[in-house]
Amino acid sequence: MSALPRLSTVLLAAITTLVAVLLYSPLFVPIVSSFFTISHGDVDWSSPTLSTYVALAENHDILAALRTTLIVGVCTVILSVVSGTLLALYYHGRRSGRSVLQFIIFLPFLMPPIISGLALLIFFREIHLERSLLTVIIGHTVFVLAIVYRTVLTRLQSMSRTLVEASYDLGATGWQTFWRIILPNLSSAMVGGAILAFALSFDETMITILVTGTQSTLPVRLWAMMRLGFSPDINALVALILMFTVLLCVLAARFLIPRQVATERT
Amino acid sequence: MQPAERRLSLLVTVLAFALPVLFVLVPLAIFLGYSFFSVDQGTIVYGLSLGNYVRFFTDPIFLPVFWNTIVLCISVAIICILLAYPAAYFLTTLEGRWRYALLMLLLVPLLMSYVIKIYAIRSILGLNGFLNKALVAVGILQQPSTLFVFNMNAILLTLTLLLIPFAILPIFLSLERIPQVLLRASDDLGASGLQTFLRITLPLSLPGVASAASFVFVLAIGDFLTPQMVGGISGFTFGRILYSQFGTAYNWPFGAALSVALAVVVIAAILIGERFGRNRGTSI
Repeated sequence: MSALPRLSTVLLAAITTLVAVLLYSPLFVPIVSSFFTISHGDVDWSSPTLSTYVALAENHDILAALRTTLIVGVCTVILSVVSGTLLALYYHGRRSGRSVLQFIIFLPFLMPPIISGLALLIFFREIHLERSLLTVIIGHTVFVLAIVYRTVLTRLQSMSRTLVEASYDLGATGWQTFWRIILPNLSSAMVGGAILAFALSFDETMITILVTGTQSTLPVRLWAMMRLGFSPDINALVALILMFTVLLCVLAARFLIPRQVATERT
Repeated sequence: MQPAERRLSLLVTVLAFALPVLFVLVPLAIFLGYSFFSVDQGTIVYGLSLGNYVRFFTDPIFLPVFWNTIVLCISVAIICILLAYPAAYFLTTLEGRWRYALLMLLLVPLLMSYVIKIYAIRSILGLNGFLNKALVAVGILQQPSTLFVFNMNAILLTLTLLLIPFAILPIFLSLERIPQVLLRASDDLGASGLQTFLRITLPLSLPGVASAASFVFVLAIGDFLTPQMVGGISGFTFGRILYSQFGTAYNWPFGAALSVALAVVVIAAILIGERFGRNRGTSI
């Protein structure tokens, strides 16, 4: 595409810049206001402050919601990684019934969350399961399972069959092969899937609103607060969360990029 | 196999089938079943009828909102693609490292809390927001306007801003897959840059555009949070009507029927995206 005329290159670069500005403007607002005071749409650049961060440390309501989110996230990760890996191992190399069950696993991810959430809400009511953190964790696990399953299955499919055969030839039992050969080869895909699952669970809002009991996770708490407007310390929280999620993303990329590629680079 | 292993493999088989069926299929089946029930004085009547569906198609309220929401989400998809296509194209003109760095840069906003983004966008679009200030400063508007708060415009703009990255990625991937030899051949045969773009690049990238449209549409039409937060009273979308059946209106069976209607549109959009999103003939 070297023959691209100069004018069109400039135009394309301008549109790309516009898109970047559009995408980053909603991130910019809370981050700037975490350090500066904004009134009536004007930023007071003269007096940077960390007071919002201090206020955040004293906002027990938000910190409790953050703790709930972390508990839900960790439980979701454990449940989805264990069951997603088991499902991937089970369906790998098995043709019968795989496409149907794979479709079922993907349904909650494809359907609008409002539908998945309402279906679970009615389901929990029918089986008389009181809405609580447990129902939230089940909801999140069902939602993120497809991602973990897909990540692990992809790794399994790219894994050389000869590794397993060699292990059996050398006299290892099924268990030994699983623990010493298959699992170590899957571990980075499992970690990558776990990070993605955590990130999705961390920001899941709609399903959580529908199936949560009295305890609310951070996005649900923010959602409830939004009607009244946010206190300034929320901006500090947002800035911190953004840093944290970018970090998670970098970590996930590290674990999900195949090893050959990583070693080629270094 | 040893007995212990056999027991384990039986357990795994049972789990592999039971988990998805119990927690995904059964809830959806019950939900579908609910759409045939009805409500009488605040209690759910477990008798089968098509009443909810008849009401959906005959009541003058629901079909227009349904249709307007579909049009709204198609508009969101079109605007997203109009912005995302040039950006994705620009990325493919860059070399190696820059290309992926910029792609990451355009995808990172997806990681930011959805609720916070909606809130921030609402403040940007508001009466004292940045958009109004900019328009007044440039001279397009005489005074700040409420054109962008608590109405359909607000929903349209907010959804667009939230969903652009979902359009960039599939378009970028399909553009990147176009073999460079085709473009060089076209150049060698004397085609101008524009001709090459219109006859080679654009047709070969259409599958990516179809996937992008399908992604954005499905995410937009399934969203309840955005219209609820920026739509006000006049921005009434199907998702909000659906949700109200489980809150203030308290008619779960009717809400279930509305969800079925939503699911039908979503599945249709996914299938269309899938059908036209397949790459044909890019390999030589």
